[in-house]
Amino acid sequence: MTTNFPQAESAAVSPLVAAPGHATAPGVRVKDLTVVYRTPLGELPAVGGVSLTIEPGTITGIVGESGSGKSTLALSLLNAVQPPGRIKGGSVEIDGLGDVVKLGGDELRQARGRHLGYVFQAAQNSLNPLKTVGKQLLDLGRSHGVDDLRALVRDAKDLLERMGLDGARVLDSHQHELSGGMRQRVGIMLALVLNAQLVILDEPTTALDMITQATILRIVREVHKERGLTTLMVTHDIGVAAEVTDRLAVMYGGRVVEHGPTMEVLGAPSHPYTRGLIRAIPRLSGDIAEAQALPGRPPTLGTLPTAGCVFRERCPLRMDICETVDPRPLTHDRRTVACHAVERSHSTAEQEEYA
Amino acid sequence: MITGTGITKTFKQRGDVLGGRDVRALRGIDFAIEKGGAVSFIGESGCGKTTLGRIIAGLESWDSGEIVIDGTPMSSLRPRRRQPYFRKIQLIHQDPYSALNPTRTIYQTLQAPLALRARQAGRPKSWIGERAEELLSLVGIDPGYVLGRYPHQLSGGMRQRVVIARALTVDPEMLVADESVSMIDVSMRLSILALLKDLRERLGVSVLFITHDIATARYIGAEGELYVLYRGQVVERGLTESIITGPVHPYTQSLLSAIPVLHGLEQPGPERVVPTEALDERHADEGCLFARRCPFRTERCEKERPALVRGVEVAHERACFHPQRRSVIPVEAVA
Amino acid sequence: MTVTTILPGSPGNTGATLRRNFWRGVGRVLRRKPSRIAGVGIVALFGAMALFGPMLYPAHLPRDNNALYAAPSLAHPFGTDFEGTDVLALVVTGSRYVILTGLATAVITVALGTALGLLAGFHRGRWDTVLMRITDMQLTIPGLPLLLVLSTIWKFQGPLEMGLVLGLLGWGGVARAVRSQTLSLRERGFIEAARGLGLSTRHIVGRELLPSMAPYIAMNVLIAVTGAIYAQVGLFFLGVLPFDSNNWGVMLNLAVFGGGALTSTAALPYLLAPLLAILLLTLGIVLIVDAMDEIFNPRLREE
Repeated sequence: MTTNFPQAESAAVSPLVAAPGHATAPGVRVKDLTVVYRTPLGELPAVGGVSLTIEPGTITGIVGESGSGKSTLALSLLNAVQPPGRIKGGSVEIDGLGDVVKLGGDELRQARGRHLGYVFQAAQNSLNPLKTVGKQLLDLGRSHGVDDLRALVRDAKDLLERMGLDGARVLDSHQHELSGGMRQRVGIMLALVLNAQLVILDEPTTALDMITQATILRIVREVHKERGLTTLMVTHDIGVAAEVTDRLAVMYGGRVVEHGPTMEVLGAPSHPYTRGLIRAIPRLSGDIAEAQALPGRPPTLGTLPTAGCVFRERCPLRMDICETVDPRPLTHDRRTVACHAVERSHSTAEQEEYA
Repeated sequence: MITGTGITKTFKQRGDVLGGRDVRALRGIDFAIEKGGAVSFIGESGCGKTTLGRIIAGLESWDSGEIVIDGTPMSSLRPRRRQPYFRKIQLIHQDPYSALNPTRTIYQTLQAPLALRARQAGRPKSWIGERAEELLSLVGIDPGYVLGRYPHQLSGGMRQRVVIARALTVDPEMLVADESVSMIDVSMRLSILALLKDLRERLGVSVLFITHDIATARYIGAEGELYVLYRGQVVERGLTESIITGPVHPYTQSLLSAIPVLHGLEQPGPERVVPTEALDERHADEGCLFARRCPFRTERCEKERPALVRGVEVAHERACFHPQRRSVIPVEAVA
Repeated sequence: MTVTTILPGSPGNTGATLRRNFWRGVGRVLRRKPSRIAGVGIVALFGAMALFGPMLYPAHLPRDNNALYAAPSLAHPFGTDFEGTDVLALVVTGSRYVILTGLATAVITVALGTALGLLAGFHRGRWDTVLMRITDMQLTIPGLPLLLVLSTIWKFQGPLEMGLVLGLLGWGGVARAVRSQTLSLRERGFIEAARGLGLSTRHIVGRELLPSMAPYIAMNVLIAVTGAIYAQVGLFFLGVLPFDSNNWGVMLNLAVFGGGALTSTAALPYLLAPLLAILLLTLGIVLIVDAMDEIFNPRLREE
């Protein structure tokens, strides 16, 4: 039996905010994307030749530790990598926009907001502390040439109310008057109010309390469905990704090492990093003694190996080939894995099938 | 053995000249931590768990109530004389970046407390270096690698190990770990938790674990005791494993229900409640503190404050008029 | 990055190694930008000037009555003054007074300011209240009028006396700033940990707090030096102090009020030379200030 709290129930049945009719959820195709950072040691790749297809209408989670390149990848989708970083090669095709990497100047600015909504890491700090939320909303509208600002405010209010807040009061508030959960909702509202169809959430629940986190995740899932979005969620917390996403991409050392349906990736992880990461999470169910730390530590830009597999230092399945050859991502049954050991076991399995 | 009875603490908020609003951080808390025990305080931010941890570590004063350390009531001592008692309780900070002085090498960091110790115990100077190496090995790092380095040259996990080694320089009886792994990379968190667990088992150091993440509390000591704090009050208290599998207070149930389910590995708990978030920061101070967010509240809850009492059918102590055991945590998916 | 392995058994060795590494780091930081090298060069030049300058010239500089206000030439790169004395020689011999005063002021300002600020910030409570009231009193003293009044009864014989007076008039700002830094630092984890470990207040203030504020203090020293130079040169320029010492301010005064440098071109080099010296010295100091953060922060130093 599931017990719904009364307040939560009323939030759930509040009228839906009508999704705009014209747009449909866009798909995203990242091809061979390489993003480098200039350092005293030369240009080092934060994202190294990543290819990733995000199906329209899905919620995809990008999971990784610090230095995995997940935030850099997310920023690349907006072509918003800041110096000393730069996109060195590859393309990011977004339906209805084309290759974002080639966009520049005003086109890019218009695309952000209209097509792409970005909810920043720690939305706490992405609001201007000196202006009310409403003023910032109007600034956003003006900079995107919105004619009907009244309608914009109305949409914003609807969105905020949809997320369980008092819209008028929030628009009149300054950042410091809002709790963490309320700020995060404002962040989501600002990302969606111009009818963006692709939404990128960067660590949306970091620094939020457990219960607030659960509420925000529920809102993300519901809004995603109601407005027909394509959603990308970047997080270091596998649990958060597991709770909301349909598909999961696991990043390590600037590579996507595993990508597939969330249920399958978590239920039967293939890549040794994914396996280790899941085993390293203390859980509430099952035998806690089975939780095991992953030895070693994640690489930084400076310690990333230049040749071979980026994970080999910590890998229990390490082979000779891992020293020299970077494993290619191979797709098998809707799941993509970049690992020599997994590749080998697949090929032997296939040979056995044919035998 | 450390016990506290009726600990209260109110923070005076600076308002205007006419006075400000007071924040009641702790409203009369009792606790007892055995030697070698594992105790966890859990709750959301603002519940008072960090304040209580800091009071126990001697870093914060309290307004009323008594703390007894190894049989000595602290109220009988002047604040200056309490230091040797509180030194047995060392706090491991949440942030390993600010917990180490960036201008001092790891050797210098460990040397200062060890030198003090050597002077007091009349040990030779050579002991300091030996002990520093010994402690670093104990926390699982290579002394030769870190001793001459500055904190910025170490990873977050290593820094946290150094912080633990520094706490061990004074041979503490208890470590207070306040969200000690929340700023460390996910793949390395468990190794720090394992270290704390190991120190407890091998050295008999008790661990007070302060966290919002119940699963980590379970890892540190499922057989230990768990205190669930809400707005400065203990609302449920009992054996960690027992509370996790069958919480009776609606707040504990909300907290446990809010933990993300690892779909594919787990299924949502059968009685998972949809937790309500506290959007309105202004709370009534009348009746049960949780009443406004509670799905099971009755008229009585809004008028009377329930006390922390031991139950009959479930052995947890709880501060609730309508306690009922519910199974809310995820269950393992059947493969 | 330098890899240093330290033998923990020998603390003496550790100290020496650390000091050696520190100076090596300082060198590395300065070499990072050419401007810093230039700054060090300029300041070193003036330092040498103050130390050895007066030794290069006779106690009484030669006069040349045939060349009053002479134009710049090879023999007199900045021309001569109203008595036919070489202007460059005046600048060089005058530097000792100026720089000594600057140093004395800086030492007094920073020592007093840091000590009081640390005390107030670390102990808080009553100490803080009393010390900060004293600081406020110091800050409300109007410096220039007081100096003018003082100069009528006291002749500021040497540079050190001058420095003492300027220092006593200038520590308030540093004390306030150091106090606020201390207040924020004392909440940091490592200070709290030191208290929890039972380390002495002397250790906490001297070994933990002070080094963390080193860049800040060093910056204040340098800025105080420039401030003191301006102040004393200004005083001499205004002519409120007796002229029996050789000083850049005296030169400026004579050039403007005696030589009419503002109206005629003859005394212009005489006016410009001390101005240039002040400008150059200030520039040198400012260029070095830029490196202070990196010198005292091990992370920025080692990288």
